[in-house]
Amino acid sequence: MKKILTTCVYCGCGCGLYLHVDEGKVIGASPSRKSAASRGKLCIKGWLSGDFVNHPDRLSYPMIQRGERQIRASWDEALSLVASGLKGMGPSAVGVLTSAKGTNEENYLFSKLARAGFKTNNVDHVARLCHAPTVAGLSYAFGSGATTNPISSLEEADAILVVGSNTTEQHPLVASYVLKARSKGAKLIVADPRRTQIASLADIHISPRPGTDVAWINSLLNSIIKEGLADRDFITKRTMGFEAVKESVLSYAPEIVEAICGVPAEVLREAALAYGSADKASIIYAMGITQHTTGTDNVQALANLALATGNLGRPGTGLYPLRGHQNVQGACDMGALPDLYPGYQKVVDANARAKFEKGWSTKLPKGPGLTAVEMIQSAETGKIKGLLIIGENPMVSYPDRSSVQRALEKLEFLAVCDIFPTETSKLADVVLPAASFAEKEGTFTSTERRIQRIRKAVDPPGESRSEWEVAAELLRRLGVPGDYSSPAEVMEEISSMAPNYGGVTYRRLGAASLQWPCPSRDHPGTGIMYIEKFPIGLARFRPVDHMEPVEGPDGEYPLLLTTGRSMYHFHTGTMTRRSPLLDREVPSPFVEVNSEDASRAGLRNGQKALVETRRGQLQLEVKVSPGVPKGILFMPFHFSEAPANLLTGASLDPSSKIPELKISAARLRKVSP
Amino acid sequence: MKAFLPNESLIPWLKDLSSSLEVIAPVDVEGEAVYQTWKGQPPALVGNTLSSPIEVLMPRTEVLFRYVQDSGRYTFDEPKVPTRIVVGMKPCDLKAVAILDRIFGSEPTDHPYLAKRRSTLLVSLNCTDPGPWCFCAIMDSGPDAQEGFDLALTDIGSGYLAEAGSAAGVLLIKGCSSGLFLEADGSHEASRDILLENARSVMAEKYGDRSVGHLRRAIRSADWEYLGRQCLRCGGCSFICPVCHCFSIADLGVPDGERVRCRDTCLLSGFSRMTNGANPLGSIGERMRNWYLDKFEHLPERTGLIGCVGCGRCDEICLAQIDRWRLEVLDERSRQQRQQHK
Ligand code: SF4
Ligand code: SF4
Ligand code: SF4
Repeated sequence: MKKILTTCVYCGCGCGLYLHVDEGKVIGASPSRKSAASRGKLCIKGWLSGDFVNHPDRLSYPMIQRGERQIRASWDEALSLVASGLKGMGPSAVGVLTSAKGTNEENYLFSKLARAGFKTNNVDHVARLCHAPTVAGLSYAFGSGATTNPISSLEEADAILVVGSNTTEQHPLVASYVLKARSKGAKLIVADPRRTQIASLADIHISPRPGTDVAWINSLLNSIIKEGLADRDFITKRTMGFEAVKESVLSYAPEIVEAICGVPAEVLREAALAYGSADKASIIYAMGITQHTTGTDNVQALANLALATGNLGRPGTGLYPLRGHQNVQGACDMGALPDLYPGYQKVVDANARAKFEKGWSTKLPKGPGLTAVEMIQSAETGKIKGLLIIGENPMVSYPDRSSVQRALEKLEFLAVCDIFPTETSKLADVVLPAASFAEKEGTFTSTERRIQRIRKAVDPPGESRSEWEVAAELLRRLGVPGDYSSPAEVMEEISSMAPNYGGVTYRRLGAASLQWPCPSRDHPGTGIMYIEKFPIGLARFRPVDHMEPVEGPDGEYPLLLTTGRSMYHFHTGTMTRRSPLLDREVPSPFVEVNSEDASRAGLRNGQKALVETRRGQLQLEVKVSPGVPKGILFMPFHFSEAPANLLTGASLDPSSKIPELKISAARLRKVSP
Repeated sequence: MKAFLPNESLIPWLKDLSSSLEVIAPVDVEGEAVYQTWKGQPPALVGNTLSSPIEVLMPRTEVLFRYVQDSGRYTFDEPKVPTRIVVGMKPCDLKAVAILDRIFGSEPTDHPYLAKRRSTLLVSLNCTDPGPWCFCAIMDSGPDAQEGFDLALTDIGSGYLAEAGSAAGVLLIKGCSSGLFLEADGSHEASRDILLENARSVMAEKYGDRSVGHLRRAIRSADWEYLGRQCLRCGGCSFICPVCHCFSIADLGVPDGERVRCRDTCLLSGFSRMTNGANPLGSIGERMRNWYLDKFEHLPERTGLIGCVGCGRCDEICLAQIDRWRLEVLDERSRQQRQQHK
């Protein structure tokens, strides 16, 4: 019997936990008092995070496609096939989708594999579907695209604005700090079309029509300026471009915005007053802000609000883009992005390229590669011929499932590395079995930029291997120098190539953690960013204007379908649906409907309904819920038997290329039994 | 029987034990004491651990049996039960064992629990230095162990006063290498009494306002809807509790596989939901109330013992920091909000 200290595999909060091991098997998980992030607490997924590890469905040997079947193969055979299969396509026809579930070391190596091995910048990961607008928006505004303050700093806020984040369900640890602040008297403002748990605890609940975030956020700024609550001093000393924003928000008076968003003007005014008059105010946001064609603008609107009120660089202030996957922050940091090398160094910057060519002893491709969604779209048109997908299940998680399927089927070569068979691995030419978080060493970086160790608790099942070993082996086969014997060694290379990880070593990580930027070995890491200055010197305002969503409701499809998650499941459910308690909690897909819309369709709670959009239709159970406003349908996307993404569209935000997963025009019908 | 184990003899004694038994003791893992198989490291016999050693008897997940199908017939194979000695178990956890013994020992008896119980020796450690969340003295389950131990230790500074509570306990003292245990004298017992009295008064001062009667009244008057709205449904208050013992059963694997049972929590709606979707405990507030009723009304009726031993763990891990023992809404503003919601 032993306990291994590690980091939770689910959301981006980065809770520390012990895996309980007996007879060589993971039998449970419990919180760690020493964890800097979670301090002896966990959410339900954390408590049950060991559940899927032993599941008999785990992939345990490599397989290759022969005729109609996938048959068992040796690692040697499978890896040679992947290396030669993808190399043969030529740089512009291959792509690598890495995994936000993988470690930093793994993402670094796969980013290197794509660039140095396959000579392509076509490398991306699931952040495209969640926080690409954050990286784009906040990099422009502040010079860095991550959460500005530690989670614990929320406790000190006088006001907290939560936007498009179902915090109690998706980031329960963050919610626990929000509740702490609230019980100390902080004003809580929640903006969400649905009346979520956190909305029900709020002082002010803003329920905007989906897709109108820029408008209501601008209206808050409008009132703040009008009431003289802007922080003149901060604006002059630390920012530029305020005048243009001031000018542009003039046309967003609460009365005007009320007509756009459906939020009463006095609610908007009250919210502006609460946020604007607080000495320390924080903003938390998530997918409700980013998964829109206006995602980058939404992020900028929030940045404008924080800048205009001087709510940056102090405890209790800041912007918290909450990261979904436990290591989506790290995957971004490691350059699993088509335009950025590890450490956010630009692919188009000749100096950066020279640095990596030297460090990796090879020539590197110029010009940014394709994003995740673009890769899939190019596969459909035949431009991308080969894909390596690590720990990701685009068949369920990407928008417009039918076209994803066409795209993947059209590929000449598809390799998938995962811990469980998925809808995507079923289409693969080569399937590589991976070790789970409980079976390997490495680091994850949480949503608060906290780099933490994960540790091997048990052996991986059968022949499965850590993804870093797979990446290292492929690099070797492609003739890229570098011989790694452990993730600690990979971290040494990372710290030499990515300045924000410059001071990170396994020795320093021990039981402790480090928050980047941590540029040198003697640097303690950075909790609160931008205390004195922004990486770009002065922070940048940028005026943003309201634009109607690409696909609004119309006569044919009168309702708005918005997608999201359930607290008990994670992403495409491959792990949580194999936990008996989590699966029991929410065993089947459902659509949440307002009682009025339900009765108009003649539907009662629990009955089967048909939900249709221009892309497809799904049959699923109706949950009549007072939390959903009239005209809106809500559906979680975890379920492969009723994949919500069969219905969503792939309209992209022009600057960050995130698809508009939050809005599709839809209609609802009763299914006759 | 009483004896004295000087500090320097502790590790040699554990070594002695580990030659014939698997010793489970708190050891330091990255700065925190956790129970695991002792492998010669200095034991961390301080404070209470966040995870209770009750897991030795009631693991979070355990395999009930493995099933193998062979030409249409199933064969079953039960896992072996290890022989273990738990060293350092606190009086609160020991009291929890007493409650579990009554629950799992009553008809129909629970074989997986009892098999482990029979093959596990318990060496308890009295609490001379209660942790910030501890209120065992209030619940009458500490700071000293009353019964149920094979051996009870008290850290009196220079070493441990050891008191046998069973025949096996006597053997633990007598059967080990000679010279490890010394004779105990009156001064050892006097130090023990002072230390324990001190621990008792620390808790009385801090948590004197908690009592079963008080709590029972609070359960009746609490605004469960409001408390439920704050609960973050982590389930931790059940998973961490040494007395909570509900489990659910799952078969992992077809045609061959394992039947496992895992600790469950009544805070989840799936726990009480019927197959037709109806749920007698439909809201979180109702389920929270049920958690309390079970501990403070139902278990006492069934076992004669209160279903809480005052270990304070559910306080420490509550993700929503709910005021668990007064069950009051925390602050003035919430109270106003609660009025508005009504
Ligand atoms: S809050 Fe997130 S990181 Fe923490 S236990 Fe839950 S899923 Fe894991
Ligand atoms: S109810 Fe709480 S304090 Fe009481 S025994 Fe259980 S975990 Fe300990
Ligand atoms: S520990 Fe607290 S937050 Fe978690 S389920 Fe229990 S009452 Fe709710």
